Amino acid sequence: MLSLRLAAVVVAGLAVGTGGGFALAGAVRGGPPEKTAALERLDSVATTDSSIEPAATPSSEPQPIPGRMLDAGVPVPISPSILRARNGWLVSDGRTLVAVYAGAAGSDPEVGRVVIVRQDLAAGKQAIRIVDAGPTGALTIAAAPLGVSVETSAQTGKILLQSAAGGQVLLDLGAGKVSHIAHGASLPWPGRRPRTSDSASHPIRR
Amino acid sequence: MRLLAWALGLAAGLAALPVAAAASPTPATAWYMYGDSASELRSYAYSHGCSFAQDQPDASLRVLLLDFGAARKLGSSTWGAVDFSNTRFSNAEILAALERAADGYHNCHVRGAVDVVYGASNYHLSGSGMSTTDAWHAGYHQSERAEDLHDYQVSQGYSSQTSDAAGDMEPSWDGELITKQLVNGDQGQGWALYYDFGSADGCPQSGSADGACTNGWQVSDVGYVSFHGLAVPLPEIYYSVNASQWTVVRKWWDGAQSSGYFFAGATASTGVGLTPTAAWGALESQNSGLVDSELVCFGC
Repeated sequence: MLSLRLAAVVVAGLAVGTGGGFALAGAVRGGPPEKTAALERLDSVATTDSSIEPAATPSSEPQPIPGRMLDAGVPVPISPSILRARNGWLVSDGRTLVAVYAGAAGSDPEVGRVVIVRQDLAAGKQAIRIVDAGPTGALTIAAAPLGVSVETSAQTGKILLQSAAGGQVLLDLGAGKVSHIAHGASLPWPGRRPRTSDSASHPIRR
Repeated sequence: MRLLAWALGLAAGLAALPVAAAASPTPATAWYMYGDSASELRSYAYSHGCSFAQDQPDASLRVLLLDFGAARKLGSSTWGAVDFSNTRFSNAEILAALERAADGYHNCHVRGAVDVVYGASNYHLSGSGMSTTDAWHAGYHQSERAEDLHDYQVSQGYSSQTSDAAGDMEPSWDGELITKQLVNGDQGQGWALYYDFGSADGCPQSGSADGACTNGWQVSDVGYVSFHGLAVPLPEIYYSVNASQWTVVRKWWDGAQSSGYFFAGATASTGVGLTPTAAWGALESQNSGLVDSELVCFGC
């Protein structure tokens, strides 16, 4: 019985200690006086709202973004440590959004790389995938679905990439794979399905 | 005795819990902002605020980082950002979107608190025609809009919320002189913490000296944009090397400056070398006790 009580006391005591861990996180901060007021502000935020009135909700009408190219002057969200971007492409049907950025791996300019950003705006989810094309050098998006008629279909469509060495690579957004287009094959864009070299395909690297 | 041993074993396990929890904060989703219109931006921001609140894993204060793209001067006295869909938004439009994010968080609030953060980057500031003075004003107004957002949160009774600013400071994207002005402008305005969720791209991976990084930057420059004034580092840790680079930044700062450098947490991503949890752990393992329990994640 004594042991049971001891166990209960130990467990209860440690449970209190665990709850106190939240305050410890704040205690890590400190440092320069110019940050003090802002850091103290963070520590003073409540965990409940004084108002229980719901805010107005904005229109939920889907607002598509027609397929468009993103040239080198457009901001890239992907860090250069992951991708040295050449250009990008974007489309959204107002519910789901897909952006593709092409270039070379941040750590190796010889490796062609594509980064795919997908946002499910209704579900509040965002996914990022990295697809490497092998030793192609930097990739550039050469052709992709554009305009207002492709806002949904293009999200699982195909994008043609040009490699630094002059080769062509096809990105299948539906499969999440790249395939190297055989030399001499007819140009796959627009409308015609290209011949691809299966042996040169690379799976998604996550 | 066996029961006592069990109790002590349980006690030992529970004693490890705070450490384990501190070592692996749950990732909080951060968002790249795309929008073709101001109304679209507001709608998406509301959605992000709501989903963030619904998914908030614990009762602590977490950062909701909305990355609006690159800081820009839009007119003679108009500031804002160009977003990732190549649409220019004024700070007034961005503030309206941030307010909708606050509304979304309030309407969907389950537990805890939030720091709604106006993020932008140093992407091609000079290339867009901005001067160092322009960059200072961009940082100033970013902080000012964060304060405006806080005024809104207070006026609406959103006491579980506060607001700050952030910069994706990437050495590859522009020079150190103009990038530092974003931090200086933020400090000049004086309200917002300026989370640096950028990289120490190309910086040394060991030592504590002021070595060279990418694009003419030095370790000391990364230290400046991440800890000078109201700046606090929330660095991108995508690969193990990133944690080593940031450790060098911290060591340099501690050796050269009077104040102690600490990390607000880490920025992680899916699809890269380190999982979010491993990213935070990699930084903490080299900076024990100096990494706060924030973990923002793009792609989570």
